[in-house]
Amino acid sequence: MKINSNIWQDRVVTLSATILVLVVVSSIIWQGQFANLDNLSLVLLNLSIDAIVAVGMMVLLISGSFDLSVGSVVAFAGGLAAYLMYYWGVFVPVAILVSLAACLLIGLVNGALVAYVGINPLIQTLAMMGIVRGLALMVSGSGIQNLPDGFNALGQSQFMGFQSPVWYMLIVVVIFSFLVRRTIFFRRYYYIGGNEKAALLSGIRVKKMKVYSFMLASALAGLAGIILSARLGAAMPTAGQGMELRVITAVILGGASLLGGQGKIMGALLGTIFMGLVANIMILARISGYWQQIILGIILIVAVATDIIMKRRGTSPR
Amino acid sequence: MNIKILFYRLLICTMLCTLMISCDPSKGAYYKDAMQDQPKPAVDRSDDEYVMVTTFVNFPMYVNHDQEAFHRWGRKMGVRTTVLGPSEWDVVQQIAFIEQVIPSRPTGLLINGTDPAIAGAINKAVDAGIPTVVYDSDIVDSRRHAFLGTDWYEIGRLQGEAMADLIRGKGKVAFVGLIGQTNMENGYRGVQDVLNKYPDIEVLGKHDSKGSTEEAAKVASDLISAHPDLAGLCGFDATTGPGLGLAVKEAGKVGQVKITTVDWEPEHLRLVREGVIQVLIGQKRELFTWYGAQFLFDMVHDTNMLSSDDDAAGITNIPHSVNTGLLKITADNIDQFDPQL
Repeated sequence: MKINSNIWQDRVVTLSATILVLVVVSSIIWQGQFANLDNLSLVLLNLSIDAIVAVGMMVLLISGSFDLSVGSVVAFAGGLAAYLMYYWGVFVPVAILVSLAACLLIGLVNGALVAYVGINPLIQTLAMMGIVRGLALMVSGSGIQNLPDGFNALGQSQFMGFQSPVWYMLIVVVIFSFLVRRTIFFRRYYYIGGNEKAALLSGIRVKKMKVYSFMLASALAGLAGIILSARLGAAMPTAGQGMELRVITAVILGGASLLGGQGKIMGALLGTIFMGLVANIMILARISGYWQQIILGIILIVAVATDIIMKRRGTSPR
Repeated sequence: MNIKILFYRLLICTMLCTLMISCDPSKGAYYKDAMQDQPKPAVDRSDDEYVMVTTFVNFPMYVNHDQEAFHRWGRKMGVRTTVLGPSEWDVVQQIAFIEQVIPSRPTGLLINGTDPAIAGAINKAVDAGIPTVVYDSDIVDSRRHAFLGTDWYEIGRLQGEAMADLIRGKGKVAFVGLIGQTNMENGYRGVQDVLNKYPDIEVLGKHDSKGSTEEAAKVASDLISAHPDLAGLCGFDATTGPGLGLAVKEAGKVGQVKITTVDWEPEHLRLVREGVIQVLIGQKRELFTWYGAQFLFDMVHDTNMLSSDDDAAGITNIPHSVNTGLLKITADNIDQFDPQL
């Protein structure tokens, strides 16, 4: 049976194979410690928040943009929902909806200023990162604990051996994977990221689409922040610090390009899983935190270098 | 003497002796000593691995104090010590580290208490049967086996008293440190409560150092520019002290703007010697991790049994909570802390 050599140019395939090798080798080296349900469910739990944010970031990167404010939005969303519930006694679903609406507003401001005013996404979202972090500090102070049990249950309940954030992550990935592959609306982001002018000439409302992509990224970051607060039973103003770079790294590992026009939602999930597995293996191997940054940096350089080399050969990963 | 009388006399003597021994209040101690004197099997520690999970693995203060003492303890005891944690300050990542180290079943876990949100992860370790000790700041909602650390409110209170004394109860004072962190917020409360008692002291609020010396220096410079009559600055994290010192030196206000701050790294000590910082309130961080690790060892190896079976009795044989106290460094005792200069 001949395997089509083109499939190895698909980042989803290569990353899946790499993850498989990593899992098999780790299972042999750390017998009983790595390949058990407890460990794997903890790995998935700890990457679930990043993965939800990564889905929004992948859509943005496909369209040729990115958002550095997502980590601050994670802290703000959890803080605002907690503030409303704890201090004002607001009903849990209402607090969640208000918090998500506030995150949509942040995305709207980001998107409008990037698309209509022409501010560079780096500058706009960097500024928004600071503003929203300040808002997170304002609403959650030194942190809010003792949140309602009904809210905590959203992040702490178990189903089939996995804690609820893992299931939320899978639901988000499945929904957006379908939407990005199958709907015209989301397919337009590939055209915008591939050639913005051509997309505009072909009748796509590029500016409006850009605003929507920023709103989506903020909403998913907000959702991740609310799930994180529910999981911890507390809102932390320092939550999500450094998350933006971690998520962008995972998404690029998953096949996105900073130039736009490529990437898959499944790639975002696999990139996050890969980084989560590497972190887990380094914990099992008792590798110091000093080395973790070095190893992740090297992995990112190798992934991007591979991308560039393949592009030069005219066989960019899909 | 007939045999019968001799028998009765012996019987009475025996009964009296028994009575005397049974009435001796030190009998229990004899019993315990006897138990302790019995040769114990040598403690097998060859497989022991004690893991410290910190919030910021390469933070110089943690490396120089917490981790140094922890590894030194490990070498002395002949056991393996491992330090894990994120390479930047990140509580959520610390939670991930705690949770992911549990399946590898370390002998004991020593956890840097930073934020109440880590309670869930600590409880998971306890539920998995891993002896777990928290140090630095207590995580009150957790079921940790022991805590060693200091009271941050007390750190603030001591700074407040020192500052009120330095500025003679009047003038403008600002606080600089991390904002939004539970332990430091308790510190701000402590200093604020003391300074509130002085009607002539005006508090300019708390300002974010963002955990960086440069940012602390920038904030302090802005405060000095905005308030030329600023009397004092209180610092609340390890990076703040050098930043405040730099700003005061550059503004040419050494001795005019008084500085009290936390921690006692070499830069802090140098600034005390130069007269830039007047008071340092330090934690005894080495004691957190040395005794924290020792507590774990004692718990695992039942060094001090308090009953025939402490687990079955539902008790832990180590202290529940230990306040290691604070130290105050001024120009008067700097030589004892910084002998090289």
